[in-house]
This record gives sequence, structure tokens and C-alpha cells, in this order.
Amino acid sequence: MSTVLDSLVAGALADQKKREQALPFEALKDRVAHDTYQPLDAKAYLRRDDQVPVIAEIKRASPSKGHLTDIPDPGALAAEYEAGGASAISVLTEGRVFLGSFDDLDAVRASVSIPVLNKDFITTDYQVYEARLHHADLLLLIVAALDDDQLKHLLELTHELGLSALVETHTRDEIERAIAAGARIIGINARNLKDLSVDTDKYRSLAANLPEDAICVAESGIFGAIEMQDYARAGADAVLVGEGVATAHNHTQAVERLVKVGKTVKASEATPLSQHEGPYYGQYGGRYVPEALIGALDELTRVYEDAKNDPEFLKELRRLNKEYVGRPSPLTAAPRFSERVSKAVGAPVRVLLKREDLNHTGAHKINNALGQALLVKRMGKHRVIAETGAGQHGVATATVCALLGLKCRIYMGQVDARRQALNVARMRLLGAEVVEVTTGDRILKDAINEALRDWVTNVDDTHYLLGTVAGPHPFPQIVRDFQKVIGEELRDQIKDYGIEYPDAICACVGGGSNAIGVMNAFLDDPRVNLYGYEAGGDGPESGKHAIRLTDGTGELGVFQGAKSYLLEDAEGQTLSTYSISAGLDYASVGPEHAWLKDIGRVNYSYATDQEAMNAFKDLCETEGIIPAIESSHALAGCYKAAADLIKRGYENPVIVVNISGRGDKDVATAGKWFGYLTDEQSKALEANGAHGTTTSDKD
Amino acid sequence: MTNTTTTIDTATLGTTPVQPKGFTSKPSKTETRLAELKKADTPAFIGYLPYGFPNPASSLDAFRTLVDSGVDIVEIGLPYSDPVMDGPVIQEACLAALRAGEKIAGVFDAVETVANAGAVPLVMGYWNLIFHYGVLRFARDFANAGGAGLVTADLIPDEAGEWIEASDRYGLDRVFLVSPETTDERLRLVASNTRGFVYASARMGVTGERAQLDQTPERLVERTRKAGATNVCVGIGVSTPEQGATIGKYADGVIVGSALVHSVLDDPTFGKLATVASGLADGIHGARR
Repeated sequence: MSTVLDSLVAGALADQKKREQALPFEALKDRVAHDTYQPLDAKAYLRRDDQVPVIAEIKRASPSKGHLTDIPDPGALAAEYEAGGASAISVLTEGRVFLGSFDDLDAVRASVSIPVLNKDFITTDYQVYEARLHHADLLLLIVAALDDDQLKHLLELTHELGLSALVETHTRDEIERAIAAGARIIGINARNLKDLSVDTDKYRSLAANLPEDAICVAESGIFGAIEMQDYARAGADAVLVGEGVATAHNHTQAVERLVKVGKTVKASEATPLSQHEGPYYGQYGGRYVPEALIGALDELTRVYEDAKNDPEFLKELRRLNKEYVGRPSPLTAAPRFSERVSKAVGAPVRVLLKREDLNHTGAHKINNALGQALLVKRMGKHRVIAETGAGQHGVATATVCALLGLKCRIYMGQVDARRQALNVARMRLLGAEVVEVTTGDRILKDAINEALRDWVTNVDDTHYLLGTVAGPHPFPQIVRDFQKVIGEELRDQIKDYGIEYPDAICACVGGGSNAIGVMNAFLDDPRVNLYGYEAGGDGPESGKHAIRLTDGTGELGVFQGAKSYLLEDAEGQTLSTYSISAGLDYASVGPEHAWLKDIGRVNYSYATDQEAMNAFKDLCETEGIIPAIESSHALAGCYKAAADLIKRGYENPVIVVNISGRGDKDVATAGKWFGYLTDEQSKALEANGAHGTTTSDKD
Repeated sequence: MTNTTTTIDTATLGTTPVQPKGFTSKPSKTETRLAELKKADTPAFIGYLPYGFPNPASSLDAFRTLVDSGVDIVEIGLPYSDPVMDGPVIQEACLAALRAGEKIAGVFDAVETVANAGAVPLVMGYWNLIFHYGVLRFARDFANAGGAGLVTADLIPDEAGEWIEASDRYGLDRVFLVSPETTDERLRLVASNTRGFVYASARMGVTGERAQLDQTPERLVERTRKAGATNVCVGIGVSTPEQGATIGKYADGVIVGSALVHSVLDDPTFGKLATVASGLADGIHGARR
């Protein structure tokens, strides 16, 4: 490195001496003294709450790559960068290798109104005055090219002349020297010199523990969205981009793309946890769907934004929630169940149950179905399609369609339809058409595929009433918003028990709507520990489960409209999942959960079939409440959460378990599991399709 | 973009290794072929078959048959477990391919086969397959095999940041879809992010053969051109030489999938595939004569 740098510095110095012969230093100073230009405060442009500012460079060549591109009109290029949203323009004035000049700087200055950075190998006072004379707002100082005294002196001179300095560093040692010299804008070059890739881990370690007021500029190897996202997430305040924009086919568009990525990351970081609105939750979410659906998703987003600010809409939703659904759902003390948990963990624990099982139709699903059905009316559509796994969402959808006079078709995997035949009958009673899906694994994901195909074909008059916080934006947000009433009620109801807040909340996580619903109101309250339990099936080693978030079983993937954790094989094909509960039997999980896992806000684990069924029976026997098998995973989780809290030193912790649904639909499955039905009875139920969990006809 | 203005002797500048340039400036293979055809006033015949169908080895013969029968650009499908944009015929073919042991790494053989046979190889893939393989890694391996670009059925430009960067680095084409309901604003967004051609759906819905086509494709092609697209090709629901001849009058290319797949389902020796493809080639190539 030093050989390159030494020769560049020497060359720059020789060129400066030549210029000094034409314009002696005193004359230069005199001209600067009479100059009226007011340099822009670059710092205000380079750190923003709403984006990661982009410094776009006019770059013709570099020592390592040679000639990159001709730039006949640097002023025009700078204007294109500015149009794309650049926050500053970097202009190389070094002429020998980078092929820049002060003519370039003048041309750029004349054409843009954002800060201009003079990038050169600056080692003399003369060069600092030159930058000021040519109306740069910012200049580059390279720590490796200067000793401590020089650096401090040039930095002070720069500030004296009203300019800012971008102080470039490569190592932690250089960063310390820059800070000691008083640098306020620190450029960090974190290129991995072995393969020239951007090493954000190196960047992170270099940028760690910088003073709060120092602005960090990531300086290396940014070509497009991939590196921009890495740096933005690693905490860079701004980025400097050369080739990525200078050699792009469309310069404005190249800058626009980078700015957009930065805005996305910042938007995500700036919002309280409970108020994230999509399309992205961290890196998760998005709209990975055919273009044909974008119009419908845009319309839904628009109509929903409008509705949620319309007092009439909210009033109608509240009225129906109260009069039709029966909200608020009670918060029930569970003293005898508490005793069992206390005994199991060897310390006193108090458990309360949030009773979504007491809603009309017997589960939390109605909260969302009702809200979306009101949106359907608002959009003026007449036909509703939906998918269902256990049948609860299908029943809820069929119910609200009957209530509001909407045409309704429910897609259900053939395997699920057979194990939930009573719910199929229920939907048909309610006037819905139920389509058994015979493609793929014939379970929930295949039902969603068919629903998506229907929607692509009939999008103009049809609404897809998605049942969980998964799928493309805006579904994760809309479903979350219609479900968050659960946690909001809980927040008030728990005060009636003389408790200010619960120490923990447990919920089961399939797609994740009941969990998000009960947790949302508490996301920004760090006193409340949140626990989500996935379907462990026969355990993580068995390969027969639906564990996406825990134990490293799931990978980052794109599935049915969103980026999230996903169970997939080595080829990226979706894996078959298994759980005793159809409602948790899904290969992916809502994107907000994926993000809450990554930031560590929710503690995700799993409960196996066996654990869930034990907890199912515990609740039946101790409280006279038959929970859905889905919710039984949260009850099984309650034992694990209690143990965790006790281990962490909590005394008499209060745990709320969200009972997302009632277990009437699961009686046949449970009866078989516990041997309360004879083989003949079991077979008879299976023959008429009312029985539980047989998936032997799966491919 | 020439290198004539100056030459830098990097050897004298120290030990930093020579880096690849950020973006390649290779011309688009798809655009080059479409321009040649345009010169002869001929629309392109773009034919789809999934890789690995009926099995990985014989599918290479299927691709050769396609090219020998007059297909100009081959859309090589990557079989996926959850193909939401496909109707029953392509679903069945992809399932058969997966059951026959199709692996994504093998698709590069198909790409080479198509390139060697003289047609332009595109790959059509659901995004998770590419994402899981690694976007940059896929772009590199695909470009090395002679691939031209990707048709992305469930990736819109708004989500394509990683793919746009990877394709720019390796000089690959980006084919995005539009449909009759796409707004002018979105058409502009798609056109400005496209490299190669814009894929215009002849109708709303998933892939599959249709006896009748309505009037919408011509209007959509017109609107897409007005939104800034240089090349617009029409597919989804196009299955007969007559339909190809009609669409070929105004579109830069005609895309046929299910009808070709259907012919392989009917006759796995590719005899019918050759007949069907030749018939379509005659219809499409003769559209403007």
C-alpha cells in the first residue's frame, strides 16, 4: 500500500508546486480572503435519520483498476447524481492516476447545490486553500499520508476556512489518530485485501466505540444494493461510492437504488418496535409476488391506510368486535394450572390465560377476518378467497362473508380437509365453497399456492383474505393491526388483578398472528419477556416438525410473498412440514417474527407433539378449559418459560398464556392420543372424515 | 467507454492486485439477437421448457430439439416445489423433473446446450431458488455457462436490488413481467430496470394454453413501449401458430410454454415437440410476411 500512496503523494505535491509557481501562496490566500462563497456544512448532509447519505464520486480511473470510464462532462454527471438523491459529490483533482483536475471541481461546483468533496492527496496548507478557492465544502485528508502534527494542523486549517474534512482511515490505529487530531467525519476503508470483497465485520470492528458525534463514512467496494445494505446495517452514517455509480449504465438510477436501500434500513431502525409498518421488518418481508398482483397490493395498502384513519371505520370495527365477536375476550386466572407449573419448576408461578377461545367461531382468527372483510366492502369487491389449515381461518372467513354478504371460496389442502372434516362442513353450512387442493403436499402451503393462482387470475373483483402475518406486504402489517387488540386488552385487564405488567407472555407461532397480536402492545416494554413456541412435531432431529426459528433448522428464504425463515432442502425447495396441529404446520413464518428473533426481542423455542398434548390435558384437568392443540404449544411453552424466568432470578413471576383457540375441533385427535376412543371408534371417525391427524396419504 | 485516452501502468504503482471493474459493459445477448431479428422484420420465437423434464439427461435433447425446430431464445425453467405463476401443465412437468432428481447445478448444462445449439439461453426461476443458490454465485456460474439472463416470475424490480447488482456485474439480462392491469407508472419502473425485453402477459392469470386470446396484449405492448421499453415480448396463454402469427405482427417476440410442455407430456421422444415447435416457428416467423 505504502508504495502506491507514497508515489501518489509525491506526484500530487510536485503538481501543487507547479501550480504554486503560477499562483504564489500569498496571492492564493489573498484571493481566498476576498472570496464570498459560504461553504456548506457537510456534516448536516452526511448524517440523517431517514437515510444513509450517498457521496457519489466523479471517477475516471483508479490505481488498482486503471481506466474505468470517460467523463467528458463532469458537471452533467454530478447533476445526474444529484437528481438521483446523492447528498454530496466527490471530485478527484489528482491528475496523474485518477485523471482528475480542478476544472472538474469547478464544473461540478457550478452544476450542483449539495456539498462537494475535493479528493486529492493533500499534505500542504496550499492545497487546503486551493480547495477553499474552488468552492469545495469538504476535503479529504488521508491519515496514512500524514504524521500526527500535520494531520492536526491541516484539520484545524480546514475548519478555520469553514470547510469540513473527511479523514480517511484503514486501521483502528489510524482511527484513534484521527479522533485524537479532532476529526469529525471519519472515512473507513474496510476492504478485505485478499478477495477485495467488502468485509462488514471488519467495518463493524473498526467503527466500534467511535465518539457519538463522529460521522462514519464507509468508503470501499460499494457497487449496489448488496454492499449498501451490509454497510447500512453495520451502522455506517454515510457511504462513498465511485465505480458503482460512475460506471453504471444509468447514473441517476444507480444512485436512486442506493438511496432507497439506505432509506429502507433507516426507516426500520428509527421506528419503535411496535409500530413497524412494512414492507420490511429488518431485512425480512417485502413483496415477492408476480407483478400482476402489485396493483391489488397497492390498492389494499391505500384502502387500509385510509380506513385506519377513518373514525367511522374504526367505530364499525369496534362495534362488531363487541357485539358480534364478543370482545373483549376475558383474562382468566388459572390457579390450579399455576400450581402444576409451579410444582414442575419448583417455585411459585402465577399463570393467567387470555381467552381468544371464547371469541365467536372459537379462535383469534375472527379478529382479522372481520377487519379485512370490512376492507373488502370498502374496496367494492364482492368475492373473497382464503386458505385454511386447521379450518379456523376458513370458518372465520366464511362467517364474516355470511355476515357481510360476500361470495366466499376457501382453499384447503386435501390432507387438512380430511383431518378437519367438521370444519369443512361448518364452512359449507355458512355458504362458502370449499375447494380441496390436491397439488403438492396437500396441506396449508399448497392451499396458499392455489389461492394465489386464483388471485392472479381474478384480481380485479377478488380479495385474498390472508389469515396470518405472512405473505406479501401489506398483509403482515394489516393482520398484525387487526390482531393487536389482544395485547391491548391484556395491558388493561391485567391491572384488574393488581398487576402492572406481566413478566412474560407465551404464544404459539405458526404463521404467527396470535403471537404478534398478544405481543405487539408489549414490544417496547423491556420488562415483559416474550416467548414464542413453534410446532416441534416429533422433535428437531426427526425431520418431522415445523421449527423454523429455533435450533438452526430454518434458513433465510423467500416464500409465498415474503423474505423470512424457511424450511427448505439443499436445493431451495420447500420442505414438507409436520405437526399434530394443522394450524402450526407451515414451512415459513411471518417476517416480523423473523426480525424479532434476529434482534433478540422474542425468545423462540418449540414444543413437541408430546409436550403439547401433555399441556393440553393439564389445562383440561386443572381449569376445565379444552384448548386448541395449537394453543397447547403455548401452554407447554409456559413450563419452559417459567423455568427460564426462575433460573434468571424472578420471584413469583406472572405469565400470560394466549389461548388462541378452543379445542372442540381437536377432541377426536386428543381422544385417540389419550386412548379415550377405542380403535373401532377411532376408525369410524376416520372413515367419516371427522378424525384427527392421519397424514399417511401424503406424498 | 474505450480505453484510448490513457494507459496506466499498474505494475509501477505497488502491490495492490488488479481488480475486476464494477460493472461489465458487455452488450446484452438477448437485445443483440432481437435486434438482428428486427432487422429482418421477424419476431422472435421464445420457447419454454423446464430443465430436468422428463429427466435431467433427456431434457438436454429436448432443448436441442427446440433450437433445431426454430426457437430463437430458450427460456429454461427451474422446477420449483411451489410454482404460483404456473398452471397445471407446467406444474406437472416441474413435479416430474423434481421426482427425476433435477438439481439446480445441472441447469448450467442446459444453458451450455442451448448456447452451443445457437439460441439465446434465458433461465426462468422462482426467486427462492436463485436466492438460496446465492445471487452473485448464480450470476457467475450462469454467465460462465454462456447464459444471457433471467426471467423472474415472482421478483419485481422493487425487490430486485441484489439481482440488479449481480446482473450488472456479470452483464446478464433482466426480464421482468407486466400484465394487462399494470399501471403506466409501474410499466415505466419495469421498463427502466429491464435489460433484454419486457415480458408482457397476454392475459391475467397463470401459465396455460388458451383457445381464445382477447385484445389486451396489443394494447399492453403499446403501453409498455410508450413507457420506455425497447423490446416487448408476449407470453402466457399463447399456444397455437395462429396466435403466434397474430401477436408476432406487433410484438418483438412470442413466448410459448405450456403447448411445448404438453407435447412432451404426450410424447416423451420429442417427435411431437419438434412438430409443434416447427409449426409455431413457421407461424411466428411468418407473422409479418
